[in-house]
Amino acid sequence: MDNQALYQERYDRIKKTINLEPVDRVPLIFMGTAFSARHVGITMAEYCKKPNASFISNYQTMVDYGFDGVNLAGGGRITPILTSLWLSRLGVPGRDLPEDSLWQVMESEVMTHEDYDYILANGWKKFVNKYMPRVISMWEFIPAMMWYVSNQPRIRKAHIKGGYVIINDSDARMPTIPFEYLCGGRSMTQFFFDLYRMPDKIQEVMDVILEDILADIRKLKPAKDRINGTWVGGWRSASSLVSPKLWDRFVWPYFVQIVDALIEKGITPVLHLDQDWSRDIERLRELPAKKCILNPDGMTDMVKFKKLVGDQMAMMGDIPASMLVAGTPEDIDKYVKELIEIFEGQGLLLCPGCDAPINTKPENMQAFVDAGHKYGVM
Amino acid sequence: MSNQIKQALSDLEEEMTLKLVQERVDAGDDPLEIIADCREGMADIGKRYETQEYFVSDLIMAGEVFKQAMAIIGEKFQTDGGPKRGTVVIGTVQGDIHDIGKDIVVNLLQAGNYNVIDLGVDVAPEKFVASAKENDAAVVGLSGLLTVAFDAMKETTEALRSTNPKIKVMIGGGSMNEQVLKHVGADALGADAQAAVELCNQWIAGE
Repeated sequence: MDNQALYQERYDRIKKTINLEPVDRVPLIFMGTAFSARHVGITMAEYCKKPNASFISNYQTMVDYGFDGVNLAGGGRITPILTSLWLSRLGVPGRDLPEDSLWQVMESEVMTHEDYDYILANGWKKFVNKYMPRVISMWEFIPAMMWYVSNQPRIRKAHIKGGYVIINDSDARMPTIPFEYLCGGRSMTQFFFDLYRMPDKIQEVMDVILEDILADIRKLKPAKDRINGTWVGGWRSASSLVSPKLWDRFVWPYFVQIVDALIEKGITPVLHLDQDWSRDIERLRELPAKKCILNPDGMTDMVKFKKLVGDQMAMMGDIPASMLVAGTPEDIDKYVKELIEIFEGQGLLLCPGCDAPINTKPENMQAFVDAGHKYGVM
Repeated sequence: MSNQIKQALSDLEEEMTLKLVQERVDAGDDPLEIIADCREGMADIGKRYETQEYFVSDLIMAGEVFKQAMAIIGEKFQTDGGPKRGTVVIGTVQGDIHDIGKDIVVNLLQAGNYNVIDLGVDVAPEKFVASAKENDAAVVGLSGLLTVAFDAMKETTEALRSTNPKIKVMIGGGSMNEQVLKHVGADALGADAQAAVELCNQWIAGE
């Protein structure tokens, strides 16, 4: 089979999985940013410094292990991209941290209470432009983001040419809920204090941010013949971290509005939900059926998800990072087998939960792919 | 009024709690009794967390209110809260700089009347060993979020055991679970902040 036919076969299989239709085999999706650097033998400093290095290493790792595609394609400098999501300073290997160590978010209270007033008076975008130099040099940030945006078509083409599907292949900027931006900028502890001490003001600020996010989404013109996935992240807004009263007011309504707006534009929201969301997992039923993908990290209860939401949403995941590092190939084999049994092989894209970590054991990654082929054929 | 403080703190009524504490301080009440009432409030919060009425955001807020209450008492009285139940050395292990989970545990342990030596983040094994020895700690808590923390925890546990085989070591943090515990070889996993306090209560206070 040539690569074009292979791509079409994989693409159709993934589309069917999202639509909860039967498939001949459960798709195997790669996600392992830092792990890929280790796999191809470059240091984390190199990986973070050279924008094309992350494309090459992710692509090569996906090919070497025999995946069908990738959750988020490599390409671009990861630390500026993460800064734009977290609104926090990042420790960069080779600059702030040892040469071959993992990058780390250096969380601190950078955004202030006065910034809330500025956002209310001037809007979110104007604030972000003013704010970013506090967490990253513009000499570093602007070229990095320009490279990222301008190289996406090339990276997409390279994957298609090789026969590999990118799940997050839409042109949408990765949006997340206002909660996460503010939590990153204020620091989690300070932001949680704000939620208790000035809830009305926080809601007003979030509403301003949301309007800007929705305005950007409304401008999108999604291309045809793509998965059109876009990563919609939640990490500090997880059910296990936020009390129900706060979650119902500051988290969930914003997810619903962003997801609905993306779906209206033909985009498939990939709900990248780290931490444990089991408490509120049934709320996913409020989202349009067969239009989103849940992308958890191994902490959310998959039996509960399948039982309550499995008839209307696919799941991409969720081999736990801890198992990839501290487990054995036998543990991985058992986990994949059970996952396929839970989902009865339908509505499931096998993928490392969140992101296979830097110190994933290569034999565990191999066991993951092998188990996918062993138990995933329907 | 003592029940009022407990109730206000347990309900996360920040302003009311601090007002009540200030009133009792101004009235010249025994500071140890005021502290005991605040601790009862914190114990109640722990119970509400265990029953999943409260979540991490509530623990963080409770720790903040407790700290402020202690500051009000400390402004007027020279007290360290009376005899401690024991000493716990805690820190985020080498290679990891995440401290939110650790800080929640520190707050809860302090509210539980433990002497807590907080070594901060990115702590080398030898620093844990030296501090545990210097402070005669019964328990060491190793915190971490990243998977790169696993081996650092293992190394630190081995270093602690080589100098004091009886010391109790607990681990905790975002990606920690029983599998990681087995890999690290520590005594127990504090699956959440409240569980870490319960472990100390068992090991130190024999509860």
